[in-house]
Amino acid sequence: MTLATFIVKNALRNKRRATLSILSVAISLFLLVTLQVAMRELMNPINDEGSSLRIIVRNKVSLAQPLPARQLQVLDRIPGIVAVSPFSFFGGLYKGDEKFTSFAQFAVDPKRCGPLLSDAKLPPEQLQAWLADRTSCIVGKLTVDRYQLKIGDRMQFTGQYYPCDLELKVVGIYQGTADDRNVMFHQSYLDESLGKPGTVGTWWVRAASVDEAPLVTDRINKAFANSSAEVRAESERAFVLGFVSMWANIKTLITRISVVVLFALVLVAVSTMSMAIRERFRELAILKALGFKRRELFAFILAESVGLAVAGALIGGFGAWLVFTYMRVGGIVLALVALGLFAMCVYLLIKRQWLTGILALFAAMPVAMLGATLAQAGSIQGLTNGMFLLFEVTPQMLGLVFVVAGVLGVLAALAPMIAVARTSVVQGLKTLD
Amino acid sequence: MAVPIVTIRNLSKVYAQGEIQVTALDKISLDISVGEFLTLMGPSGSGKSTLLHIIAGIDRPTSGECRVQDVDVTKLNESKLADWRNQNVGFIFQTFNLIPVLTAFENVELPLLLTRLGGNERKTRVQAALGLVGLGDRSHHLPKQLSGGQEQRVAIARALVTDPKLIVADEPTGNLDSNSAQDVLKVLQLLSREAGKTVIMVTHDPKAAAFGSRSIHLEKGELLK
Repeated sequence: MTLATFIVKNALRNKRRATLSILSVAISLFLLVTLQVAMRELMNPINDEGSSLRIIVRNKVSLAQPLPARQLQVLDRIPGIVAVSPFSFFGGLYKGDEKFTSFAQFAVDPKRCGPLLSDAKLPPEQLQAWLADRTSCIVGKLTVDRYQLKIGDRMQFTGQYYPCDLELKVVGIYQGTADDRNVMFHQSYLDESLGKPGTVGTWWVRAASVDEAPLVTDRINKAFANSSAEVRAESERAFVLGFVSMWANIKTLITRISVVVLFALVLVAVSTMSMAIRERFRELAILKALGFKRRELFAFILAESVGLAVAGALIGGFGAWLVFTYMRVGGIVLALVALGLFAMCVYLLIKRQWLTGILALFAAMPVAMLGATLAQAGSIQGLTNGMFLLFEVTPQMLGLVFVVAGVLGVLAALAPMIAVARTSVVQGLKTLD
Repeated sequence: MAVPIVTIRNLSKVYAQGEIQVTALDKISLDISVGEFLTLMGPSGSGKSTLLHIIAGIDRPTSGECRVQDVDVTKLNESKLADWRNQNVGFIFQTFNLIPVLTAFENVELPLLLTRLGGNERKTRVQAALGLVGLGDRSHHLPKQLSGGQEQRVAIARALVTDPKLIVADEPTGNLDSNSAQDVLKVLQLLSREAGKTVIMVTHDPKAAAFGSRSIHLEKGELLK
């Protein structure tokens, strides 16, 4: 036997409690990772080269205020701009969707927007078809897959912000952009449907180079200063973050939820470790009598506490990585875990261990449902109805999970360590089992 | 006069319980010789367990001196005292106090984890200690798979495994039936007579005390002459 074996045997002496403690840490850390990933996805828009060249120009008053279409002539003359196109968010409800359509529809100028969507791969004949037909649209591959669309289909949208409905003919399917969900159609068709108001939602501009982009932004803002429609030009990243900020301070909200999760986790861990140590105070006194020093007992308690927390972190952290990276595999793994729990439940009930058996059953049911949901969704897009495209668990987040687990282990060990330090061998020996 | 292994002079222990002071030991002086099997007797609260705890270095006196093999254990700091206990004292308790998740072998091996002995040497020593108490064939049993008498014999093996000079036993037969108690007492007697260990045992039972080579009585913290 080694000291490590002794620590492991102690940690697992009450298997039910150890399992429940590990699972409570695992579930809480899974939730923490999920919140962190969600925050990252919301706060850090994809920043590829195309994105750093793109500049979004919107009405300075508010995003909801349109811009005059005549601004195009001015924009065309600003140095450093290689392409400019209207980008009007239509925000219609797609036929069949009841309350919310997860993909956006943008009215653009197909002749001008090519350089703005340089990442998009669209077959030349489909591009020609789009340019030729005013009522046509191109659709991102993700939306095509989700709604099982094909070339020639007609998409009907009910206007939510604009007082008109649209029917668009699918003539092209694009992919390769950071967000292959959107529908692009002719601005001229929207103008016509609205009675030619002479306005656009926003302008999308492509700067000649990354270095020149801030200068171009400045020039655009200055060009329309003191005009009847002052603009705010900003990088795509700043624009998206501004958009996110319209949902109130989501970062604060997520941070506060994370803190509450951690606080609850600390309470659970401290209570579990205190119970675990309290019930073997007498044994710790025996160890002291045998010659184990205070620091060795501290090390036992700390190792056990940190060990349980890190086991939870391994399951929670890598579970989150598995689920969000390989959702279908994660779903299957969870289904297998549920199957194991069902088998354990049957075994325990046969052995007349009622409480543990029922606990296993209660654990198996949600795990099975979660596994089925994940396996069916197959990806984060499917699971979130297209709200999230990527849900990347980064190494930093996994690092955070293990740091949290380490701190948690130390915090949970503090109270038992103090109690052990304060108790003499004789007092410990008098403790009832 | 035989060589004393324990020399106690004017040893007192006073417990403060709020404003009330309880004298557990009152200026006790005592010599215990090498190889002696001393039994400490007396009614509950007479101070016999307190005296045993101080000799074994798990409690401290209020005043006085307690030298074991010329080391004044009352002067050692906590860390040194822990090392001293590991090397010099074997403990046997009334309630056996084995670790329930460890096998008999592992329980006996526990004090050796603090030494620099290698795995093979530890194994030899543990097997020898278990063999001495007649439990060589039960080494892989958990405490719950052993009878009370067997558990206490495992505890004796644990007390012996570091080869201490001094073995302290606090009512070791208190939780045993008479047959098991006899077995345990015979082992302790053997250790004193054959192996030259000094055994100090607290007991209420005159039959158990009869196994000792000397018996002393305490009452209200004082030695009865």
